[in-house]
Amino acid sequence: MTDSLTPKQEARQELIESVTKNILDSAQPLIDPDTKPEELKATANQITERLSFEANVAFSEVVTRYARRKRIEVEKLVAERTYLRFGKNFRAQHMLMIVSVIMLIITGMPLKFPDYGISKFVILDMFGGVQNSTLIHRIAAVGLIIVGIWHLGYITLSRVGRRDFWLMIPRPTDGKHAFHTIMYYIGRRAAGPKFGRFSFIEKFDYWAVYWGMVIMIGSGLILWFKEGFSKGLFDIAREAHSDEGLLATLAIIIWHFYNVHLNPDVFPMSWVWLKGTLTESEMKHHHPLEYAEIVDAERQELQRSAEEEEQKAAG
Amino acid sequence: MRGVGFIHVVCLAVVILFLLAPGKALSDDNCLLCHGKHDFHRLEPTGLKISLFVDTSLLKKSVHASRGCVDCHVDVVQIPHKPAVTVNCRRCHYSGNPVGAPQGELYDQYAQSAHGKALSQGNGKAPTCQDCHGTHNVIAPDSLGSSMYKTSRPKTCGKCHIDIYATYRESVHGHALINGILDAPDCSDCHGEHSIKGASDPQSQVSPEQVSHTCGSCHGPMGVVAKYGIKTDRITTFEESFHGIAHKMENRTVANCSSCHDFHDIRKPNDPKSTVHPANIVKTCGKPGCHPEATAQFSSGKIHVDPSKEEAGLVYYITKFFTILTVTTLAGLFVFIILDLVRRAKSSQGKR
Repeated sequence: MTDSLTPKQEARQELIESVTKNILDSAQPLIDPDTKPEELKATANQITERLSFEANVAFSEVVTRYARRKRIEVEKLVAERTYLRFGKNFRAQHMLMIVSVIMLIITGMPLKFPDYGISKFVILDMFGGVQNSTLIHRIAAVGLIIVGIWHLGYITLSRVGRRDFWLMIPRPTDGKHAFHTIMYYIGRRAAGPKFGRFSFIEKFDYWAVYWGMVIMIGSGLILWFKEGFSKGLFDIAREAHSDEGLLATLAIIIWHFYNVHLNPDVFPMSWVWLKGTLTESEMKHHHPLEYAEIVDAERQELQRSAEEEEQKAAG
Repeated sequence: MRGVGFIHVVCLAVVILFLLAPGKALSDDNCLLCHGKHDFHRLEPTGLKISLFVDTSLLKKSVHASRGCVDCHVDVVQIPHKPAVTVNCRRCHYSGNPVGAPQGELYDQYAQSAHGKALSQGNGKAPTCQDCHGTHNVIAPDSLGSSMYKTSRPKTCGKCHIDIYATYRESVHGHALINGILDAPDCSDCHGEHSIKGASDPQSQVSPEQVSHTCGSCHGPMGVVAKYGIKTDRITTFEESFHGIAHKMENRTVANCSSCHDFHDIRKPNDPKSTVHPANIVKTCGKPGCHPEATAQFSSGKIHVDPSKEEAGLVYYITKFFTILTVTTLAGLFVFIILDLVRRAKSSQGKR
């Protein structure tokens, strides 16, 4: 077997011999003429073996690194499938709402708590007085009103909006889900309820915004155009505006921020408001019924198209 | 003795008198020789008679009863004398004076006041001590008859500020004071005394910056007006209103007490001449720069509303409703979050 070498082994043998010869040739002037040729040959072979080993190590490292990089690229290519939850239109509504509401809170809260140092800092040092902060408050209010009108248009004129609004309407199952969730939390049930596209929590958040928008925009307009209303109505609007403003702010900070930021499932932040999509595992975990529906629909679609193909082939 | 006439004797006597004078203080009798005469006067170039009569009975009743003429009129050292200069009260009224004249920082306050500054800027009409406290008739301000006694103060200030005095007399404060209610404010209760400043000076008690505190000393919580059945929540309700909050945020264009109630012409709301009388309130709210579009509807209704009191009506119930709504909603959400976290903690322990 030793005589019949594979072409690769032959090439390797040839390479070793030529390298050894090269080493011997270039080392000739340095070699003691009395040294035996066998000894010389053995030393040269040792050097070649060592070089070959080092070359192998370096090569394998390059390969490993290359493979790792390739794997990441491939992983990206075959990443989990994503499911669109919030379309561009909806995300834009949310974005305008964030900007408006933050500005409204920053310019509004200091006037509810004027005795705190931070309130004076915000109004006097950040905005340069109430004449500016109230102007910005009104500009942000226009932003919020636009969001309101935009959303009403969205849920009536857009197909996706209409579908989502229909799914947002509270149903008896939501009450059951709430009860089920509490039972699960206190250890009376082994697992939580399975949600569809919108859980009872999301529905609560959504309708809470309706309540807030009606109160805040309604009372805000009375305060803005106070000259057209009575002092009695002004006082009522002012109280409602101030109290609901605080309630909404606290609800956003405690409840909404818990759900989308601090909740261990999404910490430090759920990206859905920017990306608009959920991954397959997120869908399975948070919206199992919706996921099942999608999978079901896709299967039916596949089946139908397969049948069509068959019919075409038969026809 | 030829050539030495009567006239020479008189001249000599006068000269001797002049020479002796600096060493020997003039007595009150010397002064009253002339100033004790009722018709003693000097003539102004205009022909106006200025009486130079000094009623010693007034001096004897005053706080300076034990003082002689030249104790104050120190520039008079001989008779006849040049027109006497205004007495400088500070000769005695300084801190640590040996004669026991009462003294605080009043002189310094006066020097920094609107009156003192006007005087130092050469306004001859600016009042000095005597203009308010009197000259020979200086009496302690807390005794009846002093020009600085509470009920006399408006009249004393009115010597110069005549129009304001006329307005004040007709105001609710003026009426009360004239009717002997000593809790009612006279001029200095609002404007200060020796430290009096122009209303536009931020340090003035009646400046937009300070006026709500000044009014609040009587109309605020613990205010004296409670004795007379007047509400003491006027300042707190103002501070909670948008006007009051903007005021706290150092906005001075916003309404303060006197923007609506006026300052000297403050009247009861049911007085037809009051700026806050229903007949005038639209005009008051509608002042240029305030709410020019104000309508009767806008201006009607209670202004000083305390939402925490049941008399606020619907506002009170809305406050209550939102308190309950906020507390229950947030408590519910909070409980939900806690339960969720507890469940997560338990299930992660179970996994381990």
